[in-house]
Amino acid sequence: MDLLLQQTVNAFALGGTYALLALGLAVVFSIMGLINFAHGELMTISGYTLMYCGIAGISFLLAVPVAIAVAMIAAVLMERIAFRPVRNSSAATMLVTSFAVSMILQVLFQNFISTRSQPVILPQVLSDSITLGGLVIGLNKIAAIVATVVMLVFLDIFMKRQKTGIAMRAAAEDFNVARLMGIRANTVIAGAFALSGMLAGVAAVLWVSQRSSVDPHMGFLPVVKAFIAAILGGLGSLRGAVAGGFLLGFIEIYLAAFLPPEMQEFREPIGLSIVVVVLLFRPNGLIPAASLKSEKV
Amino acid sequence: MITSPRKHIIASIATIIAAVILATLIASAFGAASERVLTVFFISLIAVVGMGVYSGNSGILSFGHLSFMAIGAYAASLLTLPAQLKIATLPKLPEWLATTEMGLLPATVIAVLLTSVVALLIGLAIGKLEGSAAVIATLGLLIIVHGVAIGWRDVTRGSQTFFGIPAVTSLWVAAVGVILALIVGRLYRDSISGLRLRAGRENAIAASAVGVRIRRERLISFVISAALMALSGALIAHFLGAISPKKFYFTDTFLLLAMLIVGGMTTVTGAVAGAVAITLVTEILRRFEGGFSVAGLEMPAVFGTTQIGIGLIILFAMFRKPDGLAGLKEWEERLFPVRPVAGTHVEIAQSVNSQPLTAKGMTMQFGGLIAVNDVDITLNPGEIIGLIGPNGSGKTTLMNMLSGVLEPTKGEFLLGGEKLSALVSHEIADRGIARTFQNIRLFENLSVFQNVLVAALSTRGGKYAEARTAAALARMGVAAHADADAGTLSYGDQRRVEIARALACEPSLLFLDEPAAGMNREETDNLMETLRGLTSDLGLGILLVDHDLKLINQLCDRIVVLNEGHLIAEGSPEEIQNNPAVIEAYLGPNRQD
Repeated sequence: MDLLLQQTVNAFALGGTYALLALGLAVVFSIMGLINFAHGELMTISGYTLMYCGIAGISFLLAVPVAIAVAMIAAVLMERIAFRPVRNSSAATMLVTSFAVSMILQVLFQNFISTRSQPVILPQVLSDSITLGGLVIGLNKIAAIVATVVMLVFLDIFMKRQKTGIAMRAAAEDFNVARLMGIRANTVIAGAFALSGMLAGVAAVLWVSQRSSVDPHMGFLPVVKAFIAAILGGLGSLRGAVAGGFLLGFIEIYLAAFLPPEMQEFREPIGLSIVVVVLLFRPNGLIPAASLKSEKV
Repeated sequence: MITSPRKHIIASIATIIAAVILATLIASAFGAASERVLTVFFISLIAVVGMGVYSGNSGILSFGHLSFMAIGAYAASLLTLPAQLKIATLPKLPEWLATTEMGLLPATVIAVLLTSVVALLIGLAIGKLEGSAAVIATLGLLIIVHGVAIGWRDVTRGSQTFFGIPAVTSLWVAAVGVILALIVGRLYRDSISGLRLRAGRENAIAASAVGVRIRRERLISFVISAALMALSGALIAHFLGAISPKKFYFTDTFLLLAMLIVGGMTTVTGAVAGAVAITLVTEILRRFEGGFSVAGLEMPAVFGTTQIGIGLIILFAMFRKPDGLAGLKEWEERLFPVRPVAGTHVEIAQSVNSQPLTAKGMTMQFGGLIAVNDVDITLNPGEIIGLIGPNGSGKTTLMNMLSGVLEPTKGEFLLGGEKLSALVSHEIADRGIARTFQNIRLFENLSVFQNVLVAALSTRGGKYAEARTAAALARMGVAAHADADAGTLSYGDQRRVEIARALACEPSLLFLDEPAAGMNREETDNLMETLRGLTSDLGLGILLVDHDLKLINQLCDRIVVLNEGHLIAEGSPEEIQNNPAVIEAYLGPNRQD
């Protein structure tokens, strides 16, 4: 029972990170149909910012907002430089563009920073743990769960109350109609990228605080997982992204904890196969996007 | 089986064979190093063509095809590995496999067949997903197969190198393989299945409406492309002599995808162009990787020069040439344009069906909005019925339900005794109900002839498809444009091609959604004559939606009026013109005073 509870906490922590990443992908996808492969590199950029802040002796509390801000700026620049020229192209064109951006950034990290994994200085308090009713929980896990909840609440308020957020929701349902209503395409898309950069930045801080190191490929695997979480939830649906992220986190953690040792090597394929089975029954994901129905015939 | 002109196919195949043999001879003359480069190039090209067969024709990018290359490589290697080595390095193999030792050819054939079966099962699952979700699913496939290859140590040696594979792939073997792959890729593109799949890529809804079963065609191309990937995998394993799961993961996926995309996904010409371009660039950049000196100036070693180079080429291609270097056409299609078929005096067959279509209680609800509410309608062969109503009254939605594009929330419709409301779009097309769309939905990058041919091939068992195509084109007066790309025609011509495409289905009922929109008076009058001819000569029934009331009044035998989803009036044109409910719906209440 204790093990189950313990692993449930871990699953919330990992699932929350996936959820934030998947949300970042979904915000951009829902508006412009781009699956952003370079989302992981935003995470990596944020991780390196944390590393340099640590080296420069900047306190972690200050380094976190800096790292998130850097990811936001990088996301907006990425849109301006790489994605605007292909904005109205096919989904495949945009996808391939983002994958080229991702590849170039990875090589740049390798050349200008290091090909090896670099340590990140973290405050001692993150590696402490507390005992809660017989459960030993790392503070970094608690921080991850709290940060996820705060971000989700923030995003919910932003999307429902803020003008830009409402504009984004309108654009996600039908971009053309939204534009006819006077919503500026550039503003909405830049906003979506800034938001996705922010989510990637937060996810990076959480990711790094569990591992205390950063390498050029850091963002790649979690973002691939976030892609899968996003289709599991329903591509383009924000609530779906959150649901998919958490579900994938739970699948992975529970498999790692409860799969017999001789099966552990097949953990990843088994986990993804479970996702595939879910998709066979719900091809449009757990919570399908509203825009699916809007195609006019 | 092949839908394109014979001279295109002959030109293409002859060039493929000649070019591959020539390249092989030249490389042999330059010695072992260039032979190795060309062998790897040929094997990569097999894979690129394989990916193109699926991604190019279906329009769905796949990140997962290297999985099939891995399956092919491991399967073939397990069969050719010397038995003694197998017993030493893989002690837990089952007896029958451990003692098997065969040559490259039978091993490759078995590996290709095995991979095809695996691909069939995977394709059935992935086929349920649409668009970007399918793309990400292929990414998942790559991770799953990679994970299995690493975990299944007893068979694959896990993440360790699987070594000792006889290195029997010579340049000539690779040359035979690449000739085979290029020919398969080229033939599939213009096969019936390939043409249908390309129609589905251009416009899925329209393809279904002319009888194309898109999922089946996707599955066929998925299996063929997986088979080519397996061939490539078997050959690369027997060229390198040692493989590991890493070889079939993201790095090589991106390299091969880059070749496919830079060259142009949709053609074999593009696959070759992309493979040549990327291979050249990587071979050149690789020389700079370790640093070099220019005029006494030492350049430092730059890690990953080739990757940056490939990345920049892709960006350049996407910004400047999103369809790839080769564009959307094969070279021989550009070089030898087909002359339009002239002077064919075929006629469209008389409609044999004399059964009416009866719909009862048709209702469509979108969330809280009831777009069509409990509408009964009967369509008879040989009769032209006008469907009118203000904007948003549910005309198009009703038509969409009756053609299977939308599934009604409630209600059913029958043709004769057969219930059609449970059928999907392509099945309804095959029962003799064809349609056009309000926003023209042509297969824009296919020729006019191909647009119509797809419809003929996919309905009525595909019998006499070419004759039916010619007849439909002639009937609508667009035969002169047969070889033009549909997307390049004028608006009026596009409308006529759409009707021709519907006629090629040999329907008994024809649904036309605003066919006269965008036509001038003269064109509208001609269209009216043509439509009258269709009912009088062929006995077709027509359901016509249009806002041109002159057209409706002059042409229709009977008019049905919808308003806010309800049927408010039905009768002859005279009756409708004087119906107070209709006047109120169009002009608002109390206009008499």
